[in-house]
Amino acid sequence: MVGNTAEAEDLTQEAFLQLFRKISTFRGESAFSTWLHRLAVNVVLMKLRKKSGKETSLEQVTEGDEESGTPRRDFGGPDLKLTGSIDRVNLQRAVEQLPPGYKAVFVLHDVQGYEHNEIAEIMGCSIGNSKSQLHKARMRLRDLLHEAVREKAREERRAAGSASGGED
Amino acid sequence: MSAFPCSEFLNRLDQWMEGERPSEARAHLRDCPRCRALVRDLETIQHTAQALAIDAEPSPRVWHSLRAQLVEEGLIRTGRRGWAHDLAGWLGETFALVPRPALAGAYLVALITIGIALSGPAGRHANEARWISGTESSTQPLSAQLDTAERDTISSLREVDPVVTASLHDNLAIVDNYIALCEKSVREEPENEVARDYLYDAYQQKADLLAQMSERGGDGR
Repeated sequence: MVGNTAEAEDLTQEAFLQLFRKISTFRGESAFSTWLHRLAVNVVLMKLRKKSGKETSLEQVTEGDEESGTPRRDFGGPDLKLTGSIDRVNLQRAVEQLPPGYKAVFVLHDVQGYEHNEIAEIMGCSIGNSKSQLHKARMRLRDLLHEAVREKAREERRAAGSASGGED
Repeated sequence: MSAFPCSEFLNRLDQWMEGERPSEARAHLRDCPRCRALVRDLETIQHTAQALAIDAEPSPRVWHSLRAQLVEEGLIRTGRRGWAHDLAGWLGETFALVPRPALAGAYLVALITIGIALSGPAGRHANEARWISGTESSTQPLSAQLDTAERDTISSLREVDPVVTASLHDNLAIVDNYIALCEKSVREEPENEVARDYLYDAYQQKADLLAQMSERGGDGR
C-alpha cells in the first residue's frame, strides 16, 4: 500500500506497537485477525493521510476527487486499450497515485484477495461502500493508466521526431 | 440494438464486475464497443493486480526495533526470559485463561526440552563454531517434542467450549508463525545470537501456551 519496503517495515513496527498498546481494548466481538487487520490498515491510512497533507475521513478522501472539477473523461474508446500495455510496474505506479481510501480497498480486494464483507469489517464501512470504493478505484486506475499510455506515446513521438531531425 | 443505453450499463458496471450479468447488460455489451473496451480494461486491471501481491516478511530490524520501543515504553521488561514470560502472560490475559493449578504432562515435556535447548548458548563461548553448527541439531528435537506435546494437548481439549478452543487454536497459529519467522532468521543468520534468543523465546511461548491449553482441557471448560 505504501510502495516502499522501508516505509512498509516502519509501519509494520508501528502496527505491532499499537497492538501492544491497544490489546486491552480487544473484546472478542470480532475475530482477532480482523481486529488486527483493522488496526494495521488504520496505521497505514493515518500515514497516507499525513503524507497527503490533510486529515480526512474515508468518505471525504474517496468522494472528494469527484468534486475536484476534473473534467469527466471519455469512459472508453477503441483506440485506448490497456490490454497489452499494462504490467505490474505501471499498475503499481498508478496505485501509488490513488487517494488513500481507494488504495486501501483496491489493495485489500484486488491484490490481497479479501471479500467485501471482510473489507467492510476491516475498514469499518458498509459492504456497499466497499464495493463502491473498489469500482471508483478501478475507474481511477484506468484513467491514470490511459494517461500513462498517452504520455508514453507522446514521448515516443518526440524521440522519433528528434531522431529524424538529427538525420537531416 | 442495445437492450439499454450506455448510461444504464455504466450505472450497473460495478455489479457486472462483481459477476451480476443480466441478459440486458450482456446484450448491451455485445453491441457497444466502447463499453466492451471499458470492461476489458477493468478486467485487465483486476487480473494484473494479482501480480502485485507480495509475500514478504519484515527484516529482523523491525523486530529488534519493536522490542527496543516496547522496552522503552515499559510495555515489556528487559531480559530474555522476562520478555518471554511477559508475552506468555499477555497471551494468557488476552484469552482470559484461568491461573494454572498444575503443569500438565505436555507442558513438562516442553519445559524439559526447552531447558535442554537453553543449555546450548552456555557453552558457546568455548566453541562458537561448534555451537552454531549444533543449533539446528538442538532445536530439531525440541521442535519435534513440542509438536508431540501439541498433539497431546489438542486431543485433551475435546470437552472444552468450541469457541474457546477456536481462540486457543488461533493463538497457537500466531505462535507457530512467530516460530517459523524466528527459525528462518536463524537459518539466514546462524551467527546472530539475538536471532537464536528470539527462537528460544518463541519455543518458550509455545510451551506456555500449550500449558494453558492443557489446563483448560483438564478443567473441562
